[in-house]
Amino acid sequence: MAQVLLEGLKFRYQRSVIHNLDPRVKLLLTAMLFAFSLIGSNFYQEAITFCLIAIPAVLARVLRRLMKLMVFAIPFSLFIILLNIWGGGTILHSFVIAIRFIEIVSSTSLFFVTTSPDELEYVLRWFRFPRDFVFAFATSIRFVPVMMIDLNQIIDAQKSRGLEIEKGGPIKRIRNLVPVLVPLIVTALVRSGELAEAMEARGYGAVKKPTSLFNLKLQSNDLMALSIIIPGFIALILLYLVMI
Amino acid sequence: MAAIEFSSVSYRMPNGVLALDNIDMTIKEGELVAIVGGNGAGKTTLLKHLNGLLKPSRGEVRIFGKSTKDSSVAQLSREVGLVFQNSDHQLFSESVKAEIAFGLRNFGFSESEIESRIEEVVNYYGLAEMLDRAPMTLSGGEKKRLCIATVMAWEPKILALDEPTVGQDYLNKLRLRDVVKSLLRKGRTVLIVSHDLEFLWPFKPRTIVMGMGKILADAPADQIYLDSELLEKSGLRQPQLAMLANALGRDRPFSDADEAANWVKGLFVRRYDE
Amino acid sequence: MNCLAKKLVEFRNYSFKYSGASSYTLSNVEFSVEEGEIVVIAGASGSGKSTILRSINGLIPHIYPGEYMGDVFVDGLRVKDTPTFELARRVGFLFQNPENQIFMFTVERDIAFGMENLGYPPEVMRKKTDWAMQLLGISHLAKRSPSELSDGQKQRVAIAGSLVMDPRILVLDEPTSLLDPKTALDVVELVKKLNIELGITAILVEHRFELVAPIASRFVVISNGKVWSEGKPEDILFRDGLEEIGLAVPPIVQVEKKLMDTGADIERTLDVKAFAGRAISTWQR
Repeated sequence: MAQVLLEGLKFRYQRSVIHNLDPRVKLLLTAMLFAFSLIGSNFYQEAITFCLIAIPAVLARVLRRLMKLMVFAIPFSLFIILLNIWGGGTILHSFVIAIRFIEIVSSTSLFFVTTSPDELEYVLRWFRFPRDFVFAFATSIRFVPVMMIDLNQIIDAQKSRGLEIEKGGPIKRIRNLVPVLVPLIVTALVRSGELAEAMEARGYGAVKKPTSLFNLKLQSNDLMALSIIIPGFIALILLYLVMI
Repeated sequence: MAAIEFSSVSYRMPNGVLALDNIDMTIKEGELVAIVGGNGAGKTTLLKHLNGLLKPSRGEVRIFGKSTKDSSVAQLSREVGLVFQNSDHQLFSESVKAEIAFGLRNFGFSESEIESRIEEVVNYYGLAEMLDRAPMTLSGGEKKRLCIATVMAWEPKILALDEPTVGQDYLNKLRLRDVVKSLLRKGRTVLIVSHDLEFLWPFKPRTIVMGMGKILADAPADQIYLDSELLEKSGLRQPQLAMLANALGRDRPFSDADEAANWVKGLFVRRYDE
Repeated sequence: MNCLAKKLVEFRNYSFKYSGASSYTLSNVEFSVEEGEIVVIAGASGSGKSTILRSINGLIPHIYPGEYMGDVFVDGLRVKDTPTFELARRVGFLFQNPENQIFMFTVERDIAFGMENLGYPPEVMRKKTDWAMQLLGISHLAKRSPSELSDGQKQRVAIAGSLVMDPRILVLDEPTSLLDPKTALDVVELVKKLNIELGITAILVEHRFELVAPIASRFVVISNGKVWSEGKPEDILFRDGLEEIGLAVPPIVQVEKKLMDTGADIERTLDVKAFAGRAISTWQR
């Protein structure tokens, strides 16, 4: 199940109307969708938001991948429905809450699936987050695939010593994680040490405001998208107000 | 009954690449076999089939006659010890003692047996003074020996080493050679995956050259080491004494520097005899 | 050694003890590296080789404090008093593990990383990044993610990342020990190419002599934290005592030494084929 979750959040290089947008525009779009799913208070509003998420998903050709994420989201939302009904809510209202949950998950996923980690870093920089923070964050993401490889090698090595990860009751299973987690953490710590040396060797911290090879620049397709998104959402807010 | 038997084994990775292509290989008990080749040749994939970490997409792997298809990794590891390249991926305990005990406990040895085996193995591999030290504080060479010790503690009949010499210096490589020699003396079947032909040199092992998932050659070291073309194609560096033998037109590599020097001297003497 | 050539790196009676260590890792190290040389620092594990390298680019003492005696000079600057980023402009450092020195998500951004840190303008960074990729034959990898690359390619990306900072010295810490033989040879040849084409002075740690003997102008052999000997490859490799300090003598050298011991008058060579050729022509006339 963890694999499914990761798949739903992993960026894959693709060309599409959405992928080609400036990451700030993508962030705006998905953030607005996220906000709208929270604002909506009745079924019709949530339905509209749902369609609004589906449209860019289709344009980005990631609908199938987002649906895979539903494997995780749907059982959870059913659970929410049941919980709400048991708490005394109406069926319709519970349904609304469940849809809201699905929308939150898919709008978030939509952002991460269409935005490369590279672009994500540029966005954070643009928001003037402290350089050290952005660098640490980006580097950790960069090493996630590397750590996955380490993890698999560690599991192979320990299985070869008779470790049976799938067996045993809950306590045994947790104890069985130690031979896997310790080498993983130690490897990560050694790696940070090596990275720190490499950082120094490449002049990190020489200048208070480091420059950047690329700079975000809004282009014509971004402006076109913004000209649809911003008025569109304003119209939607007005519509919602009318519907209340 | 062979110790290891690969019958038409092919393995296709999840991404579709054929990592092993129709491998046929038989290894007798007590044999030392070197599996060599460049990166991506399929050597590590082959090793992982020995203890069931990977199961063939086609064909069958048999360990002492029993197919690996129906056994778990834990069951097979009892017979086939695998030591991977990166020692840091294996060591995790608070002490060398606990590290060795880990595998033994997994395989169900009694506490008293564990005690005696730890003592035996720790003396055998020269780790006696480090019994209570944390494995992470050991040097690279000591860590490698510890990894081998933890596996040999439960005495699998077959030991497979994946690139044991990577990152090791000369002295540690000498010690590793001693470890391999003692294992052979005890009658163990040993497989070494390596691209360090100089390290394997004194053993003159049966050498299987792999490339692109296939077995390109399976012959005694003498033959393989002289085949500079094959070695070059496989991205391997020919040991100097084999290169010398080739250059001097000899049909067998020299066993050591003494033999080579005597032979060259012989050239000189022969000239005077004519 | 040409006494007129500039000394780019100078170790003057240098000793160092890491803080918390019980003994000195290096004692009275004294040697220098001239412009244009390729110097190989050889020694067994624990002999102090890595400490020597890290004393060149300032990781010692700025990141690794300790008891620092004597001096190290790099391009006229006293390392002890120079911040690491100043030294980074003069000394490129290549680490052993190709993976753990690449930070960014794409190759070209990682190559530009050092320049970004030094505040170069984007146009300059673009030009230099393209130049470095071109030089190392990795232009086609510009937008690729480092995790998809082979070890050899990663090593080239790392070298490119160092070259764009215009170092005069390139320091390499066991660059080949984790690589397969073919890739190892590529890296060694690349160092030679950079030395010839760009005039870069290279200092590398390697304990496998055969690999680097063809390109080295000098070996500096370290044992137990001290300089055991230094000199041309043909001189060092034929010295007695290498095995005792934990270094493997190449087989061809062993053969030649044995012949010389019995009185044969042969020319020292590290090239197996050259030796064989001479043996045949000299003794089968």
